[in-house]
Amino acid sequence: MSRRSTVITRRDFVRVGSGLAAAGLLGAHRPGSVAAAEPARSRVVLVRAQDALDAAGAPDGASLHRMLNEAVTALLETPSPSDAWKRLIRPADVVGIKTNVWRNLATPPGLEEAIRAEVVGAGVAPGEVAVDDRGVLDNPVFKRATAFINVRPMRTHHWAGLGTCLKNMIMFVPRPADYHGDACASLGAIWKLPELEGKVRLNILVMLTPQFHGVGPHSFSPEFVWPYKGLIVGIDPVAVDATGARIIEARRREHFGEERPISPPPHHIQVADTRYGLGVSDPQRIDLVRLGFMEGALI
Amino acid sequence: MIQVPIKEAVVVASGLLLLVLLLATCGDRGGDVASLRPLVPAQAGGWQAVDGGELYDRESIFSYIDGHAEVYLAYGMKGCLARRYTGPSGEADIALDVFEMASPADAYGVASYDRDGEPVAIGHDGRFRYGWLSFWKGAFFVSVTAESESAAARDAVLELGRSVAALITDDGATPPLVGELPPDGLDAGSVRFLHSQQILNTHLWLGEGEVLGLAPDTSAALAHYLRDGWSAHLLLVDYPDRGRAERAAAAIAGRLLAGPAGGGPALGQDGRWHGVQQRGGRLVVVIGAANDELAAALLAEASAPIGGG
Repeated sequence: MSRRSTVITRRDFVRVGSGLAAAGLLGAHRPGSVAAAEPARSRVVLVRAQDALDAAGAPDGASLHRMLNEAVTALLETPSPSDAWKRLIRPADVVGIKTNVWRNLATPPGLEEAIRAEVVGAGVAPGEVAVDDRGVLDNPVFKRATAFINVRPMRTHHWAGLGTCLKNMIMFVPRPADYHGDACASLGAIWKLPELEGKVRLNILVMLTPQFHGVGPHSFSPEFVWPYKGLIVGIDPVAVDATGARIIEARRREHFGEERPISPPPHHIQVADTRYGLGVSDPQRIDLVRLGFMEGALI
Repeated sequence: MIQVPIKEAVVVASGLLLLVLLLATCGDRGGDVASLRPLVPAQAGGWQAVDGGELYDRESIFSYIDGHAEVYLAYGMKGCLARRYTGPSGEADIALDVFEMASPADAYGVASYDRDGEPVAIGHDGRFRYGWLSFWKGAFFVSVTAESESAAARDAVLELGRSVAALITDDGATPPLVGELPPDGLDAGSVRFLHSQQILNTHLWLGEGEVLGLAPDTSAALAHYLRDGWSAHLLLVDYPDRGRAERAAAAIAGRLLAGPAGGGPALGQDGRWHGVQQRGGRLVVVIGAANDELAAALLAEASAPIGGG
């Protein structure tokens, strides 16, 4: 006798589309289920909080933890955050939290800790959870991981146009530069690798102080970040990134006072949809759930 | 006559040879970024160097510059000297990066990658913006970045930049291909020199794929033109042989013109005029001209001299 999994896996998502996957796996009753020919939709949560950054502009760990839990609860439409986390992670899972350590705009440690705490709260043994970025290929937990949570800040990027959740997995290949051609169009292929496919359970695009333009060898100036105080959370990395990209494009228009397209165009997001089937890039097919203050949300 | 055993003579001669080579290297301050390290100032304004500077090669540069190293590698980077300076209380650090490129043309190319900013008279094409000074001189591209802006930091950045520029004795010259861009209507701030499709993509997106076959042995100059209020981009590429130029012409014509190269400008689906000409190893491409007259004029003017192989 087979049991139906209540955990959302990448394979489930890819097969039926994230919105449908969530509906089916969570047992939601949707009378007259969507016809097979209807394009899949994805659900993405944008959560913002005024206290996400403290007076000095540093991320506030407690606020981030609260935002994260509000987001996953809304994303999976569960009664509580713990229910949502239990939908995402099994107690038997080995979990890699793929972070980003870029010196100028790293994933906030407070957010990494919040994710770790929730994963452990979902029943995973503390020794079966690891946070890593550049050492993922050698990290023993990552090497035997059954689930990943992908978390990184949004920023502009010289080769990909944008440093996105899709791009964050580039450290899973030994020669990342092999994927830099054609504005990193083939990043989606990395998500098809056996060590990743079907295992990325949640994507979190950190929009606390997103970077909308880069200058110099280190691609950073404080001039080009702003306190957006948000997180974009979803199961579908393409929908998460597409939503973040719209915000960056809007901020560039606002800042430069003219159309200043992201260069090179971050078409790896669309290609991840059309060529690799990793999710939904069309904003018309992304159901955006908004939580928290929305002044200056730009979308 | 003093008799010296052969073995000792060989040792002495070898030592002298090494000394001569070392002195020659140290004396050629335009030729080796490592030789600049002991000469770079330990302070600028109120900022003090935290160490003697780190050297990076084509492999280790990835550990220093995340996500941007390929820009320098695309211009044949040989090495990089990086040195950090700490400032007075309340001031952010300053980072000095001196990149030794394959040639002065490549140093020019790196500088042309980002031409924003206020012109400053330091090295060639000196620019200052958002706390960042950049310039090129000889085969070197120099970057001095204040991690947070202030008046004092700006002064220190400019002082450090002037000091490093003075250490580089070779001047270098602008790539000849850049000099072949027609001058009428040329936006000097838009001129880029490059060897790679990835670099081109960051300035002008020609669609998916590496259609032009750009490589380290090809040189390209890209510029924006504005004549009588009408705009266009012009791309010149020199290939080492005619065959590669022909293949690139056919490929880009197929994309822009939906037809063969060599005719006059054609109206694209984007409502702009495009044109492709190839003579010998030289490819001339007009992209996105506002009208056919401008496209035709740029094609004619740029096709007049024949360069490349």
